[in-house]
Amino acid sequence: MPTVTIDGHKVRVKKNATVLDAARRAEIWIPTLCYHPSVLSEASCRLCMVELDRGDWRQLITACNYPVRRDIVVYASSEGAEQARRGVMELLLARAPESEELRAMAERMGVEKTRYPKVTESQRNCILCGLCVQVCEHLIGQAAIGFAGRGVDKAVAAPFRQPSEDCIGCGACAAVCPVGTIKVRVHKDQNEVEISPFKSRSKLMLCHECSAPVVSTEVAEKALQKIEINTEEFRELIRLCPRCRMLRTAKQLAAMPAYENG
Amino acid sequence: MLENPKLVEQIVDRYSRDEGMLISMMQDIQAECGYLPADGLRCLSKRLQVPLSRVYAIATFYSSFRLAPGGAHEVTLCMGTVCYLKGAPDILEAVCKEFRVEPGGTTSDRLFSLQPVNCVGACALAPVMVVDGKYYDGVTPASAIEVLSDLPPAEESTEVIAKEDVA
Amino acid sequence: MTPPALAKLASPVDLEALAQQFRGDSRKASKCVRVCIGTGCTAKGSRKIYELFCEAAEQCDADVNIEAKCVGCHGFCERGPVVVVEPGEIFYQQVEEPDVAEIFRETVLGGRIVERLLYEDPATGKKAREAADIPFYSAQQRVVLSGNGRIDPTQITDYIADGGYSALAKALSSMTPEDVISQVELAGLRGRGGGGFPTARKWQSCREAKGSAKYVICNGDEGDPGAFMDRSIMEGNPHSVIEGMLIGAYAIGSRQGYIYVRNEYPLAVEHLKAAISQASDMGLLGKNILGSSFSFDIKINRGGGAFVCGESTALMASLEGRPGEPRAKYVHTVESGFRGKPTNLNNVETWANVPQIINRGGEWFAGIGTEKSKGTKVFSLVGNVVNTGLVEVPMGITLRRIIEEIGGGVPDGKRFKAVQTGGPSGGCIPAEHLDVRVDFDELTKLGSMMGSGGMIVMDEDTCMVRVAQYFTEFLQKESCGKCTPCREGLAQMLHILNGITKGDGEVGDIEEVGTLAQLLEGTALCALGKTAANPILSTIRYFREEYDAHILDRHCPAKECRGLFHYEIDREACKACGICLKNCPADAIAGEKKVPHIIYQGKCTLCGTCWDKCPFSAVIKV
Repeated sequence: MPTVTIDGHKVRVKKNATVLDAARRAEIWIPTLCYHPSVLSEASCRLCMVELDRGDWRQLITACNYPVRRDIVVYASSEGAEQARRGVMELLLARAPESEELRAMAERMGVEKTRYPKVTESQRNCILCGLCVQVCEHLIGQAAIGFAGRGVDKAVAAPFRQPSEDCIGCGACAAVCPVGTIKVRVHKDQNEVEISPFKSRSKLMLCHECSAPVVSTEVAEKALQKIEINTEEFRELIRLCPRCRMLRTAKQLAAMPAYENG
Repeated sequence: MLENPKLVEQIVDRYSRDEGMLISMMQDIQAECGYLPADGLRCLSKRLQVPLSRVYAIATFYSSFRLAPGGAHEVTLCMGTVCYLKGAPDILEAVCKEFRVEPGGTTSDRLFSLQPVNCVGACALAPVMVVDGKYYDGVTPASAIEVLSDLPPAEESTEVIAKEDVA
Repeated sequence: MTPPALAKLASPVDLEALAQQFRGDSRKASKCVRVCIGTGCTAKGSRKIYELFCEAAEQCDADVNIEAKCVGCHGFCERGPVVVVEPGEIFYQQVEEPDVAEIFRETVLGGRIVERLLYEDPATGKKAREAADIPFYSAQQRVVLSGNGRIDPTQITDYIADGGYSALAKALSSMTPEDVISQVELAGLRGRGGGGFPTARKWQSCREAKGSAKYVICNGDEGDPGAFMDRSIMEGNPHSVIEGMLIGAYAIGSRQGYIYVRNEYPLAVEHLKAAISQASDMGLLGKNILGSSFSFDIKINRGGGAFVCGESTALMASLEGRPGEPRAKYVHTVESGFRGKPTNLNNVETWANVPQIINRGGEWFAGIGTEKSKGTKVFSLVGNVVNTGLVEVPMGITLRRIIEEIGGGVPDGKRFKAVQTGGPSGGCIPAEHLDVRVDFDELTKLGSMMGSGGMIVMDEDTCMVRVAQYFTEFLQKESCGKCTPCREGLAQMLHILNGITKGDGEVGDIEEVGTLAQLLEGTALCALGKTAANPILSTIRYFREEYDAHILDRHCPAKECRGLFHYEIDREACKACGICLKNCPADAIAGEKKVPHIIYQGKCTLCGTCWDKCPFSAVIKV
């Protein structure tokens, strides 16, 4: 097991664990945006820069995907590392000035504002970290959204920038979005759920008892396909909203003899 | 729209369904159709079992792909360093103004598509313009406009293609 | 002359016998006309000239065997179409269709020289009979380009007759993979694509990497604007690249190779495809090559038009059928590259050097060049230089010799200002450093780099801020957009440079660009982003006063940036012809017959029409 010396703290990690893993074990905070433990680290946001000791010089590396293969010395709080991270944050703020999540993180890093002007009209407030794209393809298995274009005009979009046929309205993309740009909007009047800004809409499944919207019908179907115990009772339960599900379970429990005697 | 419904199938088979040859397949589709028709990309995605979002990402990432039909002629203007230094920006500006076309776009009469490219590697001939594969060297704004004005109009060339198809 | 039927070669002895036979054949054609069909000459009509020579040779009833042959780029593109007549190696330049009959009658049949088609040295007025007599060629040392201009790139027989594939035969029959690597190490060959990484060390690491499936890749995605070395090699001598890859694959232990060629190079793709198919037919690619246990195949992929694909991991992503986005190289590609397997990638010119090293020995190669940069390097010498074209020189030659001796200096009596090397990741080198010896390390010290070999000469009329802006805009358009610093930082830098060239520059802009440059260098994901600020940094380093003039005086010293200079009419030179007046779209010029005209600065829109139209160069930029 190699040892990582990070800001003077020594931690032992498994071979090929990342510097970020080591930092978390040492309880040293390194800001991250595009990192998520469930998907492959692409290190695209470049916010988690730290310095690696190379003897006579220090190399800036991304903590989230640098694999520890031998004993290394890393500086997360050095002037060089902090300056690099603040620089990246300022560039991100210029792109996504309205994100509260981003502003909060910037503040925690000691960045109050950005010196840079807005230089692109493309997909305001999206930092193009790609978490949504990865989660949609690799965890949900839908690949409804992807990148479109390149460079500063790159955007996250569904094919042909039309509402995607593959979107099931699960909202996983919104859940992982670190800057709060992707939103789930429920249109009660139409019984539809919309994933913004992709304009994809899915029909909502309504609770069979109280008619409250539960999840999109496709998500419910997918859940049924995935789960092996597929009894009639389960099929029924999944068509209920959480409240009605609770009520029904409570009723069933109450009807059980043990409770009668209890 | 795909004119030949079997086209994608044929192209996919040409590369033994190898997903790694996806970009080559798309180039072949574009070579046949002149652009990447949406239904062609959908079909390609299904046949190869590659997500449509990835096919679309490729189609918009690489500058040689086009998602809308181009003009009857293909005009490439080199914007490499030498051509740039020798006045390519002025040529581009003049052509855009004269034919009311955007860089990367197609004239409204579909006469030609104008594609500025990084470097065609013919720097000794700078500034260079390539029209339907023919290289023009030492181009000036005036000579570029002259060459493009002499292009046979769109209808004629479609007719020629149609006749060839019949034959 | 129909080529003999090609049979599969079962051993190195077969290959040698065939080469002997071909050499015998070519001796029969006692006269030969070689027509260049490189892209430059083709653009000037050389295909037609080749056809005319073929017709002439066919119709000729003289009792000699005359052959017309198409050959790869000679390098002297400026003077194309180039035609060389054997025997005598008589070098005709700027040949046009009507000249064909005369060359055929006089030189081919009559053995007489057509004086007017020879190259004339503008300095001495001396005519050159052969390429070797032309200053453009005499200072060159052609190793990689040795086959260009001599052999027909579409005929494997021509390559074999010239000793082609003998290095492969030598490696397979008398060398172990380790022997091959040690010869390459002895040669001191470093990657020609830009990085300058020692080739043998790369091969060794890939050979040692775990896993049985290994790949070799040839990077033919020559994206640097102003560079066409690799294109000329792929077009002019494709088998040299294939043979190099075969030898490398044998040394590394790979069975599958890929050549990734830029989409803008259709002729290179055509020639490589034909070459691969011919090599496969003869058993030089495929299973059990030359009867050995070594098997190897090559596939060609065309790029989709993205500069970033010249970066190795982006290229591999593209080969896997994805957008060309680079990934971190904390684990090297020789360990985990294409499809997660050990992958060795070299550039076209690097591969093309390999057969020569194996045939002539690593020591021979190491005898050329400087202490740490061995061999020769091909440059595309372009821009404001008299002799534009492709040059191959020994490492260590000075920039001055390349530009002044081979290139013939700056044309039109203009003053030399800078030479840009290394493509968009490189920098501009000013006149005071022209005596630097060209090698990997020296150019880096000057804030530029060797790069893949683009060499763009700029004269006094070139605005260095605009040059920096050009490259920054280029890179900003080509940035893949994956990582924040490159995507956003380049856009910010371009924003500042656009301001400076428009006259909106502010004090502090240069420092701001410096901060961004440092950020990019430290935090960008791939080499494109890390080196993206070089064109700006090197121009600030050597031409700071030009930046200051733009920002402080709102003046462009080279008079290129519109709005930062104005037009005036030279009273002495003006002939009062009225052309400027008639053409001025803003009615800003006044004048009458016999009275020198004047420009009303308040009305002038700086469109430059008067400057373009004046037949007496009386309109001047101030």
